[in-house]
Amino acid sequence: MLRILLVNDTDKPIGELRQALASHGFEVLAVVGSPHALLAAVEGQRPDVVIIDTESPSRDTLEQLSVMNAAAPRPVVMFSADANQQLIRAAVGAGVTTYLVEGIAPEKIAPIVDVALARFAEESRLRQKLAEVEQKLSDRKLIDRAKGILMDKRQMTEAVAYETLRTQAMKQGSKLVDVARQIIAMADLL
Amino acid sequence: MPYPSPSRTATPWIAGSDAPEKPHLRLGFVPLSDCAPVVAAKLMDFGRKHGLSIELCRQPSWAAIRDKLLSGEIDAAHSLYGLVYGVQLGLGGPQADMAVLMTLNQNGQAVSLSNRLAQRLRQGESLSTVLAADTHRHVFAQTFPTGTHAMWLYYWLASQGIHPFNDVQSIVIPPPQMSDELARGRLDGFCAGEPWHAVAEAENVGQTVVTSGEIWPDHPEKVLACRRDFAALYPNTARALTMTLLEACRWLDTPDHRREAAGWLSGPGLIGRATSLIAPRLLGDYGGAPLSTSPRPVRFFAEGEVNFPYLSDGLWFLSQYRRWGMLRKPVDLPSMACSINQIALYREAAGALGIALPASDMRSSVLLDGKPWDGTNPEAYADSFAIRAR
Repeated sequence: MLRILLVNDTDKPIGELRQALASHGFEVLAVVGSPHALLAAVEGQRPDVVIIDTESPSRDTLEQLSVMNAAAPRPVVMFSADANQQLIRAAVGAGVTTYLVEGIAPEKIAPIVDVALARFAEESRLRQKLAEVEQKLSDRKLIDRAKGILMDKRQMTEAVAYETLRTQAMKQGSKLVDVARQIIAMADLL
Repeated sequence: MPYPSPSRTATPWIAGSDAPEKPHLRLGFVPLSDCAPVVAAKLMDFGRKHGLSIELCRQPSWAAIRDKLLSGEIDAAHSLYGLVYGVQLGLGGPQADMAVLMTLNQNGQAVSLSNRLAQRLRQGESLSTVLAADTHRHVFAQTFPTGTHAMWLYYWLASQGIHPFNDVQSIVIPPPQMSDELARGRLDGFCAGEPWHAVAEAENVGQTVVTSGEIWPDHPEKVLACRRDFAALYPNTARALTMTLLEACRWLDTPDHRREAAGWLSGPGLIGRATSLIAPRLLGDYGGAPLSTSPRPVRFFAEGEVNFPYLSDGLWFLSQYRRWGMLRKPVDLPSMACSINQIALYREAAGALGIALPASDMRSSVLLDGKPWDGTNPEAYADSFAIRAR
């Protein structure tokens, strides 16, 4: 069975993979959080696979082991045109880098990468959703401010002010929030 | 015999076909004092008159610089000289054809030891005596296995009779964590860039005992690197980028400009440490650190002396990989250096700016153990060291 080491020293919660990998029957050796612990774990526990945030500063610690010790895990080559590298490339896109000991076929780690990918794809989907909600909220605020300006300076009712913004947006072929921004920018001239 | 300068010959790219094929570039860097040229290039907008806009992409590790150069996420990078050669050879990781466009700086790195070891060295004991007095296995850290700091550390240790693999343990620790590891007693010394030595002294956990300019006076350090196919596909872009960085390096030769750059570098998006930790050493002031005899401080330009991508500089790293057993397969080392270092392109770029060019693609140096190096016969040079991998 492949022995997996997880490195968790950035905001990306790699450590949470532990449960997911364990439930798929993989042996997760440890979750380490510092270059010091990483060195001890690689030398003492000899993992077959190391999974680490692409943006982790500890990656260079692993690189030293790759160069100086042929038995240590090496960064997986993720740039070849080989079809079974597609998955690894996808993992890189999710911000996770895999180090693998020599002699293990990349397809053998496919299920591990799958789990990592699912975990971080879900996370990035949630992040995107949150960003969308926040965007909508701030758009809403701008539109309300523009409405207020029209009601104040042109003595419009709220319904008429909103209708004016909407008509203008349709005429310009732009978004409601962009028209709102124009109104706010020109508020002093109105 | 000096080469003809391209500025004096009619070249088609001067006549109007020289616009960069790729006007917007993503430039990777690692936050260190010697990333000043890429930061100055961006903030002073030196790229504009060469038709380039530059986006800076800070990276947390050299491994990330390598992977993003290879994947195309960044176009070029402030890189350790040895990283480029290590990737060309595929040492311990992916292999790719690489290019060095120019040298960005010389000198400016150092070795720090724990206070205890530094103090004993200062009392005149030799390093080997000091280390032999301890019972524990000493641990020395550097920043990347094929990088410059690894090679300066190994060379310095070996010059004092200490085998960097057999007599001590050599590990990699991210530079911002070096001080902490020294303080915890898990590290006896480290070789890295600045400001991390100034930080160790300010935090009173270690002392600078030798600067890299004492190990190899005016050694090559960081380079402007890209994939070779990038330089081949976008020659105008590569030339324009080289000209942009040459102007940034020239700008940094004025002390006032270096002070200004130190202020930028201290920002949270860059190094995120006080200007007072960055500025002095960037200006050559080491504050009387022990054992430092008028250090040769970092230089970025010196009328272009710094920037020429000498073949002998690249060959030195290959010779050291041989020496330390990191490269065992037969390789034609000189032809490898010729294909990595983009000398013709550099000559065009420097010539167009009226920057002096050397007559030879090799230069001569004498390192701290008294051994001369001029780029000829790197294999014999590698074999000539008493302390090396067997």
